[in-house]
Amino acid sequence: MEGCLELAGNIPEEARQLSGGDEIALIRRAQGGDPEAFDALVRVYDQNVLRLTLQVVHSQEEAQDLYQEAFLKVYRSLRYFRLEARFSTWLYRVVMNVCLDYLRRQSTRREVQGPERDDGEPEYFQTVPDERPVLDPERAVHSKEIGRRIQAALQRLNPRERMVFELKHYQGLKLRAIGELCKTSEQTVKNCLFRATQKLRTELGDLV
Amino acid sequence: MGLKAVTSGQSLVSGKLGFARHSSLPLGDVVMNCKEFEENLTLDLYGDLPPEQRADYEGHLAGCVNCQAAREQVRSLHEVLAQRPRIEPSPDFLVECRQALVEALDRERLGWHGLIREWLPFLQLSMAPRIAFALSLIVFGFGLGWTLRPQAARVVPSVPGNVTTSSLAGADFENMRINDISRVAPDPKTGDVRITMDAQRRVILEGSLDDPHIQQLLVYAMKSYDNAGIRRDTLDALRARSKSPNIRAALLYAMEHDANVGNRLAALDAVRGMEGGDDLQQSLMEVLEHDRNMGVRAESVDVLVDHVEKEGRDEAILSALERLATNDPNRYVRLKCASALRKLGSDGF
Repeated sequence: MEGCLELAGNIPEEARQLSGGDEIALIRRAQGGDPEAFDALVRVYDQNVLRLTLQVVHSQEEAQDLYQEAFLKVYRSLRYFRLEARFSTWLYRVVMNVCLDYLRRQSTRREVQGPERDDGEPEYFQTVPDERPVLDPERAVHSKEIGRRIQAALQRLNPRERMVFELKHYQGLKLRAIGELCKTSEQTVKNCLFRATQKLRTELGDLV
Repeated sequence: MGLKAVTSGQSLVSGKLGFARHSSLPLGDVVMNCKEFEENLTLDLYGDLPPEQRADYEGHLAGCVNCQAAREQVRSLHEVLAQRPRIEPSPDFLVECRQALVEALDRERLGWHGLIREWLPFLQLSMAPRIAFALSLIVFGFGLGWTLRPQAARVVPSVPGNVTTSSLAGADFENMRINDISRVAPDPKTGDVRITMDAQRRVILEGSLDDPHIQQLLVYAMKSYDNAGIRRDTLDALRARSKSPNIRAALLYAMEHDANVGNRLAALDAVRGMEGGDDLQQSLMEVLEHDRNMGVRAESVDVLVDHVEKEGRDEAILSALERLATNDPNRYVRLKCASALRKLGSDGF
């Protein structure tokens, strides 16, 4: 799966040293109950998983919860993984479903709670250091405001549009790869991406 | 994305989000319309436009001013979106997540999920044992449910040896549940019969919360009753009378020992308004250090801070907070403890 190989572009050293055969051997050992093998598998993918969850939730606390929930689900159902699909596809599908569930819960909560507060910004978003060079304070404020607007606009997408957009725009996955993760056709993903882009154009029209 | 032939009957008016065909191309040529262009525009900017559609796409773009503007707008949108900070997990955070995952996996292996996994190979032998196992689970579950069914009529604990003699005139058989008839003894002299049995009756008591009998019943219900909802109702009723020593003790007991997390949290909330004292401090520290639920531990930090602010600095509390700021298995609790120490002005935080 191309997309996941692209995702694997930034994975830690262990991952780069892991051949397909080694991975299968690790999976088999983990399926047999070997905790060290499972730990090794986690370390191959977990940095990317954490990056994705952090990007989706913008909160360390919640990203850690999603990361943990995803790997616990993988651990519980690893014995049913049949090695017919790529492990990375299967793993990221679990991660994506965990993120989707989170976004759905958030979406429901927002509906119940009514309009978000004025600053509309998750806690971590305000605290994470922006390491890009900043010329002056005014620009920094402007940049922060744009960041806030983008985050608010992304939060207004529906959960599926949000995930498809994150995976395509920020993680750089191919449409086919996203389709595999969502268990849907490339055309459906394309339509979803189109709708997300149109909504963002409307939401952020004054910045464009 | 199919390519379509322009026919003379279609609109030639081009619009930003319209469906018009491009007018500069001769009729009968295969060409994209504006809607199809916009759909492909997203792909183009990601470099995903299929090569076989490139020519039509470029052809439409060259002749349609509105689509040129739309392309420019989406390209600018991408530039704006690039300004969103990209969050990279720090190495420390990654290590922390891994550590927490290892702990969660350990709990998982020791918990019921682990037990099921251990047993699963044995249960997968053949269909017949599986069915037998499923049936025995159903029977076991039904039996357990029957045994533990709510005993609504049991209001007051039965005391062994507490035997009451009643006459038929005073008996209210409609509201009585007879559990066991242990003896039926006819009296040959009178012709009467004496029946010895265990029976339960629904009793409704009404009275002030200040009535010691009512308080005694409620304290019993809060500490010993098996229904968490009833315990919670009792707790809510009693929290306003926390000055009574018995009720105070019962609230502290519920805070430490109630099996239901929601009840323990409610009890924590109830003790906020209590007067200080060694018993309160000791219970709060017990909760902070030993409650198995991180939410309860985290809440106890706030209550302890309130307690210190009211009662004054206490080294035992500070020392416990310092210890848990580094050792509590949950990161949120550790952060709460560190934050509490800063609030209380402890050195080093």
